[in-house]
Amino acid sequence: MRFAIPLAAALALGPMTARAERPADFEARFAQEARRADPSFAGFSAARGRTFFTTRQGGDWSCSTCHGDVPTAIGEHAVTGKRIEPLAPAANPERFTKPASVEKWFKRNCNDVVKRACTAQEKGDVLAWLMALPAKETR
Amino acid sequence: MNDRVLVWDLPLRIFHWVLAASFAGAFLTAESERLRDVHVLCGYTFAGAIAFRVVWGFAGTRHARFSALRFRPAAILRELQALVRGRPQRHVGHGPIGAVMIPLLLGLGAVVAASGWATYAQAGEWLEELHEGAAVAMLVVVIGHVVGVVATSVLSRENLVVPLLTGRKPRAAGGGIASSRPLVALLLLAALAALWVPGLAARDERLAERRAHVAELGGGGRSHHGD
Repeated sequence: MRFAIPLAAALALGPMTARAERPADFEARFAQEARRADPSFAGFSAARGRTFFTTRQGGDWSCSTCHGDVPTAIGEHAVTGKRIEPLAPAANPERFTKPASVEKWFKRNCNDVVKRACTAQEKGDVLAWLMALPAKETR
Repeated sequence: MNDRVLVWDLPLRIFHWVLAASFAGAFLTAESERLRDVHVLCGYTFAGAIAFRVVWGFAGTRHARFSALRFRPAAILRELQALVRGRPQRHVGHGPIGAVMIPLLLGLGAVVAASGWATYAQAGEWLEELHEGAAVAMLVVVIGHVVGVVATSVLSRENLVVPLLTGRKPRAAGGGIASSRPLVALLLLAALAALWVPGLAARDERLAERRAHVAELGGGGRSHHGD
């Protein structure tokens, strides 16, 4: 019986901690991190995000190499040729809803493109651009 | 060397090291999209090794057969106690812990391979999570396996790794096998070559194609859209 209350609490809180988030929640978190890293942080820029996304950052790949120049469209994996669902939330509502997924793919893909972890500023800039993309540019 | 007796046949030894290498290779390439195709090749190798081991569990030589593995909880307990006391028991083939380790590793490996294949076929995100979870679980078991083998080898002063290369154990250990089954070993090596040679050639071709494509575009997906 003495486990009943903690168990009920865990059952009630469990789904809440894993609840789906919105892209704006990620943007807010990146902003927090960016401010912590640099007190003079002055917000995110969609234009800077677009440049970061579509140009190479010293390596032979850019984000666009797989995701396409306008990521409201379907992308293609540069090595396997597999289909990559659109990255922009307007074209694919599943994007930027799961923290574990967002963290995993930023970590993996930043390593592929910039050969290091991306900064919160870079992630926020890219997300600001993705969130500003309208759905109509699909395909 | 004459006082040594053949215990592990050649296909079994090849299987063991191919499984270990493909598992390590898959782990090392797991976090890279550049090496995704190499990861997939490791996965097919790994899956093939597991499938072979299941067949070999019925068609292999004496100590490779599943019928030689008996699940005896009391024997496992005795083995662990003996290991903790620093006096591990010697076995010709697999000991009681190996009898549990083998089905456990093969079962986990089957889940890892199947869920990995399904992930690559883009069958759903939950399969990707299953793939990663099962792979980590298998890594934990593999680490336990390696620690156990090293501990047993040191404590019993009987190197358990060398017989997995030479196939031979000290005669004192008991009954051996007649043939190392070289023909099956040759078939295994041929299957490996048939997978990796065209696999790596296709990778080179894709990379060259990609480079040509990038050169045509004037650089790494750089865009100058005026939208």
